[in-house]
Amino acid sequence: MPLGTFKASESLTMGIELELQLVNWTDFDLSGSASDLLHLLGHHTFPGEVKPEITESMIEISTAVHHSHAELLAQLRSIRDALVRTGDRLNIAVCGGGTHPFQRWSERRIFPNPRFNQLSSLYGYLAKQFTVFGQHVHIGCASANESLYLLHALNRYVPHFVALAASSPFFQGVDTQFDSARLNSVFAFPLSGRAPVLFDWQEFEHHYFAKMEKTGVVKSMKDFYWDIRPKPEYGTIELRVCDTPLTVDRAAALAAYLQALCRMLLQRDEAPPVEDDYLVYNYNRFQACRFGLDGVLVHPKSNESHLLREDILATLARLEPHAAALESLTALDQLRDEVTGEGNHASVLRRHFADAGSVQGVVDAAVTLFRQGRRK
Amino acid sequence: MCAHGPEHLIPETLLSLLTSVAWPAAIAIAWTIGEIAYRLLSLPRISSYGVAGFVMAASQGGFLANPSGQPVALLAHFAFGLILFELGYRINLRWLRVNPWLTITSLIEASGTFAAVFVLAQAFALPTVPSLLLAALAMATSPAAVLRVANELQSSGQVTERLFHLTACNCVLSLFIFKAVVGYWVLASAGTASEAVWNSLVVIGVSVAIGAAFGVAVPALLRQLGNIDRNATVAFATAALLLTAVTHAFRFSPLLAALAFGLVARHRRAILSQAQRNFGTLGDLLTVLLFVFVAASLDWHQLGKGITLALAVVAARLAVKVAATTVFAHLSGITWRKGALTGLAMTPMSVLVIVLLEQTRHLKLYALDQVAGLAAIVLLLEVIGPIVTRRALVWAGETHQPAGR
Repeated sequence: MPLGTFKASESLTMGIELELQLVNWTDFDLSGSASDLLHLLGHHTFPGEVKPEITESMIEISTAVHHSHAELLAQLRSIRDALVRTGDRLNIAVCGGGTHPFQRWSERRIFPNPRFNQLSSLYGYLAKQFTVFGQHVHIGCASANESLYLLHALNRYVPHFVALAASSPFFQGVDTQFDSARLNSVFAFPLSGRAPVLFDWQEFEHHYFAKMEKTGVVKSMKDFYWDIRPKPEYGTIELRVCDTPLTVDRAAALAAYLQALCRMLLQRDEAPPVEDDYLVYNYNRFQACRFGLDGVLVHPKSNESHLLREDILATLARLEPHAAALESLTALDQLRDEVTGEGNHASVLRRHFADAGSVQGVVDAAVTLFRQGRRK
Repeated sequence: MCAHGPEHLIPETLLSLLTSVAWPAAIAIAWTIGEIAYRLLSLPRISSYGVAGFVMAASQGGFLANPSGQPVALLAHFAFGLILFELGYRINLRWLRVNPWLTITSLIEASGTFAAVFVLAQAFALPTVPSLLLAALAMATSPAAVLRVANELQSSGQVTERLFHLTACNCVLSLFIFKAVVGYWVLASAGTASEAVWNSLVVIGVSVAIGAAFGVAVPALLRQLGNIDRNATVAFATAALLLTAVTHAFRFSPLLAALAFGLVARHRRAILSQAQRNFGTLGDLLTVLLFVFVAASLDWHQLGKGITLALAVVAARLAVKVAATTVFAHLSGITWRKGALTGLAMTPMSVLVIVLLEQTRHLKLYALDQVAGLAAIVLLLEVIGPIVTRRALVWAGETHQPAGR
């Protein structure tokens, strides 16, 4: 299947996909209920889109294309309300978080559809171990080349998103000491990582994708599990490093942060991205994954080290005029509060673990946080 | 001793030795058969335990004396108490409020079963009290079979969830009606009014109250001790043992008490971890004993009586349950198919009936002898019930194993 043309879209528009967990109300383990929930959701008009995911205990919701943070947040909240309401009718709890803290992957059930069955037989246990939950943010690009530029220009900011969104400290019943254990699961896939440094779409299409396709390893862009990948059929780039946050408000704030960053990068004031930027990429990404906001970031151009926390605060300050233009200052304020105050959601979950003394208590807290502020 | 001579001593000792070995041996044999049948035929283990128990019972020429009233009966009550606790613990009362159609389904399927079975029993010319008893018992789905099968298959989804909730509700309704009928029966058979009230209302009220008190006290104690989740299994099992012994000794209903204990403990939000489903190895072991116990209580002489009635009751009960869960399927938010499968999965009833009758022995209510067809229903559903539940969950696509098994 050829890559297809890049369908240009309006620059800096945004949309979100969230993979969510379905858990039971008794012991808070994952519950294989996606089919039941989707069946009932199908009876009503849903304020967004909802799809099955690879295992029966997850679903994916997505928003429409939005220009502003306020619109995006409003839609996410009404999606959340609809999910909670429908889940309640079926005794299913819905929550965020990048991993389920104690589920055993061997007990997961693959959602019955051809693509998932095929992935399951190709990747074996990896497919089930991939019961992790991410947030994907799409940013609209006016041209294919703009998408490739943005994709690489964002390289040094990827750890920001890893750290800010990290919400998966617990995995298989233990504290992994990582803030985002989820990304370690993603990394196990052979086609994960980052896109090759190419800035021209023609070259990307004919010299990279077509060759890869000829090897038989990939059939479409979907087979790449890159941190950021272009999505030609939407005309967007898609950031995939975020864990699903515990609240939809945080999810919307992260999207607004990315939108403002892209606006700044498109002014092309920073030195353009080059292959050597990626020398520190995996190290920085690991730091964010492991230590969250307390990680250390090595600047790819200057090779100076900074605390991620400080680098994010500095970036937030630089983004203010852009956020003002995009009407997303409140979102940036929320993130600033996160960095200076309560910490990321991994820290929140760890505190709940300390209080409740059990990983079940952690999921209980995640369920409560997800429902908070809903309209009844 | 010398007076008896060695020729008497040896057989007596041997006999008492054999008696003391009988139950452990029966459990070992039943377990082995269960594993073999599970591997070769994919038969639910508990079905095999039932068959094995029935064949090994003395009335069938086997070596197991009728366990009724024996010490082993208390162990069986304890085993069932653990299961009822777990069922109660899995019930979310808020769900029944948020989704009233589920509550309506429950009331309709239980009362419909009662009415249908009563009419049927009358048509078979059964006297009024036995007809009422049969109808009350037929309302209930056995929690033991349902929980064991669902846990064995690691089943999760709407059929499983609804199966648990509807089972808990119809058990409670069935126990209430059963106690009411017993009260009526005591009154009718020249008892006093106070005796009748005692055997129904007071027994119900006090049993629930004791169970609820445990439900408040145990989580509170655990919180005091620091809620380490590994401790919870042993703590709840110990409490369930105590609760069973106390309510049994004072002739209240250990069944209602255990269910109330689980329900209240859940809503006091002490969280069990997944490892403790079925109470782990303890639960597995006691389940073998429970299902052997149930089948060993049956005498094949009782089976001949009212076999046609038995078949008719099994069919009518299944029809009413499937009809009720199907009719309200859409209104309560699931597909017709899943609705019908929920009704189908509710087939088992044996363990509840036998344990309940065993616990009301002091009333001299020999229902297995007096209610024609009851023994046949119990044996039939002890074997077939779990198989039907298993098929229903597999067809619903809610089990962990591939659909083929």
